[in-house]
Amino acid sequence: MFLAVREIMHSKTKFSMIIVIFVLLAWLVFILSGLGNGLSTLAAAVFKNMDADYVVFQEDARSSMSKSVLTDDLMQDVKASPDVKDAAAMGSSLATVVKHASGGKSNKVDVAIIGIDAGSFLEPAVIEGQKLSDQSSTKVIVNSTLRDEGFRIGDTLRLDGSKEKMTISGFVENQSYNHLPAVFTPMSEWRKVAFAAPGSDKGIKNPVNAVMLQGENIDPAKIDKLLSGTETVTKNKAVQSMPGYKEESGTISMMLAFLFVISGFVLGVFFYVLTLQKTNQFGIMKAIGADNRFLSRAIVSEVFLLTVISIVTGVLLTYGTAAILPSAIPFKLDPLLVVLYSVALLIIALLSSLISVRRITKIDPLQALGRVE
Amino acid sequence: MMQSGLELKGISKQYSEGGNQVTALDDVTLSVAPGEFVAVVGPSGSGKSTFLSVAGALLKPTDGQVYLNGHDISALPDKALSRVRLQEIGFIMQSSNLVPYLNVLDQLLLVKKMSGKVSPEDKTFAVTLLEELGLGSKTKRFPEELSGGEKQRTAIARALVNDPNVILADEPTASLDTKRAHEVVQLIAQEVKHRNKAAIMVTHDERLLDYCDRVYRMEDGRLTLVSR
Repeated sequence: MFLAVREIMHSKTKFSMIIVIFVLLAWLVFILSGLGNGLSTLAAAVFKNMDADYVVFQEDARSSMSKSVLTDDLMQDVKASPDVKDAAAMGSSLATVVKHASGGKSNKVDVAIIGIDAGSFLEPAVIEGQKLSDQSSTKVIVNSTLRDEGFRIGDTLRLDGSKEKMTISGFVENQSYNHLPAVFTPMSEWRKVAFAAPGSDKGIKNPVNAVMLQGENIDPAKIDKLLSGTETVTKNKAVQSMPGYKEESGTISMMLAFLFVISGFVLGVFFYVLTLQKTNQFGIMKAIGADNRFLSRAIVSEVFLLTVISIVTGVLLTYGTAAILPSAIPFKLDPLLVVLYSVALLIIALLSSLISVRRITKIDPLQALGRVE
Repeated sequence: MMQSGLELKGISKQYSEGGNQVTALDDVTLSVAPGEFVAVVGPSGSGKSTFLSVAGALLKPTDGQVYLNGHDISALPDKALSRVRLQEIGFIMQSSNLVPYLNVLDQLLLVKKMSGKVSPEDKTFAVTLLEELGLGSKTKRFPEELSGGEKQRTAIARALVNDPNVILADEPTASLDTKRAHEVVQLIAQEVKHRNKAAIMVTHDERLLDYCDRVYRMEDGRLTLVSR
């Protein structure tokens, strides 16, 4: 630290430039992580928020909601299966709803209709209004983003191209599915929407898309054996199998991976060049008695100091960016991810400084006595 | 064998250069007692710098022994040698060999830092040393703000700060004018006497030999006594 602090203070311009570059890299890492997190929330928040461990799909449905149809009559058997603490059915479909605004202008919004049993563990807590009820199946709870679009409690939603009408009875938070705001309806209402065309239920009685299971020790193979024609997967697998989800998060992950590699190289090369420039200096210090450990620690603590300054600045800038970003951009910072990526950047920076450390150990103190006559 | 000071006994050093054996030092023997200031002169290529490197624990001799306070250091491993350099040897190198981003006081404290923590006593000692060498008003200056003479005086202070037994000066006047050169060598001589150090100065500048107790000449790797 002794040498690091003094050198940085003495060459402020040089080191500010390195800091600026690394701040930009860190900033980009955090912004990408926020975007990635925002996108995956938008794509699968409904799923992710559900307090479930496993999901039962129809066999051959490739763990996809949209391809899977099961009958609700399974529920008795599922609940009786070993290690299953609780089970709840759900259905999902995409729809366009029309709201007749008081001004006479109509307002069309794409939504994801999520059918659940009122009172089951799949029902999210409302932040405003009333919960779902089995008695009034047309009362629905909707994601709070619809409130930003002008919807209020008591408003009527009409399904586009249908006479089916629903009334908003409450708002929930952070519930989006397939990038659309979720509308939670009782199961019976969802069936009317999802299987409006005659025969689309393929003759299955009381159809549902999937059954969510609670129970950490569930053995999927056992469940599938008990109920024929099903495939049970972890919730995480089900999320991964959502259309477009893997591709979306894969793209972001790839960019992040590249950024980490680039950060390591940029810092590593910078410090290697600086070390080469200081070869003579290090030689002198070795001649007057500095050992490799002392000099290596000087370089590593310099990298540590600059990296910490850059990462902290990057985090602050990221939160600043988050504050001014338009709400249409799906940006959501996960503090845990921010901490994780900060630590990762720090470790990469420190690892990259090892190239310089290696160089230092090879410097011969003899060259300090080189003639300049 | 002396119990203190520096003693080189039958030192030889051979390099292989392009397949040829080059003898840089040929059976060199020299002992310097505490309080003695010895000069080694000679043309370039005579082996002066190899001699100083061996005396300063920077280079291991092919043959012979180097005794520092009665201990043979010629066979020590590298890590122990850097310890010896830090604790027992003070180097005064050619000017511009200060660390550019450290102020005068920090140049001295760096040496303390290499051996661990810097205590308040270390700091007081460093400041006293600088005052003694006429740098009392320059402790916060950086090397780029110092004159050549001031830089060399800083280097002298740096060599003394760990209170070593041996002082080695490598062309300490290489980039100085006559007046400054005299000042610097006089100062080294004064500190050597005052602090009772064994000192060797390698130089090609024959004007400065009056300050030394003995003068040796190095030629083709052989050391001969010139005057006493």
